[in-house]
Amino acid sequence: MVKEIERSGLPVVHVCTVTPISMTVGANRIVPAIAIPHPLGNPSLPKEEEKALRRKIVEKALKALTTEVTGQTVFKD
Amino acid sequence: MKLELGKLTIRDIRFSEESKISEGILYVSKEDLRRVALTEEKIKSADFDIARPGESVRITPVKDVVEPRVKTEGPGGIFPGFIAGVDTVGSGKTLALKGMAVVTTGPIVNFQEGVIDMSGPGADYTPFSKLLNLCVICEPVDNCEKHQYESALRMAGLKIASFVAGLGKDIAPEETETFETPDLLTGMKAFPELPRVAYVQMLQSQGLLHDTYVYGVDAKKILPTVLYPTESMDGAILSGNCVSACDKNPTYIHENNPIVEDLFKQHGKTINFVAHVITNENVFLADKERSSNQTAKLCKMLGLDAVIISEEGFGNPDTDLIMNCKKIEAEGIKTVIVTDEYAGRDGKSQSLADADKAADALVTAGNANQLVRLPKLDKVIGTMDYISKIAGSSDKALQSDGSIEVEIQVITGATSEVGFHTLSAR
Repeated sequence: MVKEIERSGLPVVHVCTVTPISMTVGANRIVPAIAIPHPLGNPSLPKEEEKALRRKIVEKALKALTTEVTGQTVFKD
Repeated sequence: MKLELGKLTIRDIRFSEESKISEGILYVSKEDLRRVALTEEKIKSADFDIARPGESVRITPVKDVVEPRVKTEGPGGIFPGFIAGVDTVGSGKTLALKGMAVVTTGPIVNFQEGVIDMSGPGADYTPFSKLLNLCVICEPVDNCEKHQYESALRMAGLKIASFVAGLGKDIAPEETETFETPDLLTGMKAFPELPRVAYVQMLQSQGLLHDTYVYGVDAKKILPTVLYPTESMDGAILSGNCVSACDKNPTYIHENNPIVEDLFKQHGKTINFVAHVITNENVFLADKERSSNQTAKLCKMLGLDAVIISEEGFGNPDTDLIMNCKKIEAEGIKTVIVTDEYAGRDGKSQSLADADKAADALVTAGNANQLVRLPKLDKVIGTMDYISKIAGSSDKALQSDGSIEVEIQVITGATSEVGFHTLSAR
């Protein structure tokens, strides 16, 4: 899906836990997620901390979306 | 480390007043079995049944399959960390009851368990249709959490297998096979000309009841480590998972791992079988990276020339598999990987979720998405209530004539990734 949307001209950020698979399938902007059963959060954290964590992932993804890349890039920080 | 594995073939199982083994027949008292099962406080009731090869019987939902074994000499006991203490096992003498198994059933998570058919086309897809199966059917107490039910049923299976094996403790085995692994230095001196080979076994450890245990430790919490290959024969590794039952290793397969046995057959002839390395398949990327790094490090430390790597499961563990393969190959060690495929019902989709050029030697155990039609059988041990929910089935599975159309994914052991069953490809 990442590749098809990008082919139509829209940049895509792939937020995923297993970034090596994202690299294998050819995503260009990759943001690491938390874990396979809960990619976008961490249920073991207190609510407030989890909210902050979720926001951080979304902000990182938005930043990645607006960053020029020359090849496949994993946005670690 | 040397283990003498004695084998006693069980020719039939019968319910009886008294529990004993006589002339190759296992007699069991339901009362004795119930007493053992009910030591698990989360189990409300336990019933038992016997399924024989060729009978028109379907067992479902299957949780685990266990071969009864007992230590007759030497340190420790079978299933260390659960049934016995945590002494290192794998030496001395062990007695295995061959030709039979203890099969636990219960709708724990209902889509996570498997199917064993004792006859018909389904029987060809499972290695466990060839055994006399003592089935354990347990109901949980009210308000029992799923993970408590899983643990209780797992323990009940192990306890009943140990109880049954104990009945054979004083009977001389019909045959004995000896397995011996020298320590590293002795092995190196004894076989200087032979390639040094190890087995790297990946253990399912994704959590949410997809777990494996090593000496009582949840495998998701281990760093990769090295075992003598005989340790798993004494139950050092055991199963706590069965979802997509085709390619999970029930405890029976850990006790009888064919990769371990085949490497032993070649030991001292074509290879020097150095060690059994175990690692896990966790759900955090850092865990995957750490475990594959440590696995490659151990292979390097052991001075290996080649390894066989087996996966357990599919999907994201494909990445663990490829990481292990790539990193071990990068140390100059040859690898062969053993896996199965999820290539779609037509077999045309990509088989694994991940790939790499280093993975150029692969053995497949078949396509888990392959559809099969299983006829209605006369008797069900367990319940058919969840047959359309089991992973690999669907709400269209049940046909008007009572047969079911399902992927072989639902069948326990069908695409065993340690090659325990017969499917493969060229």
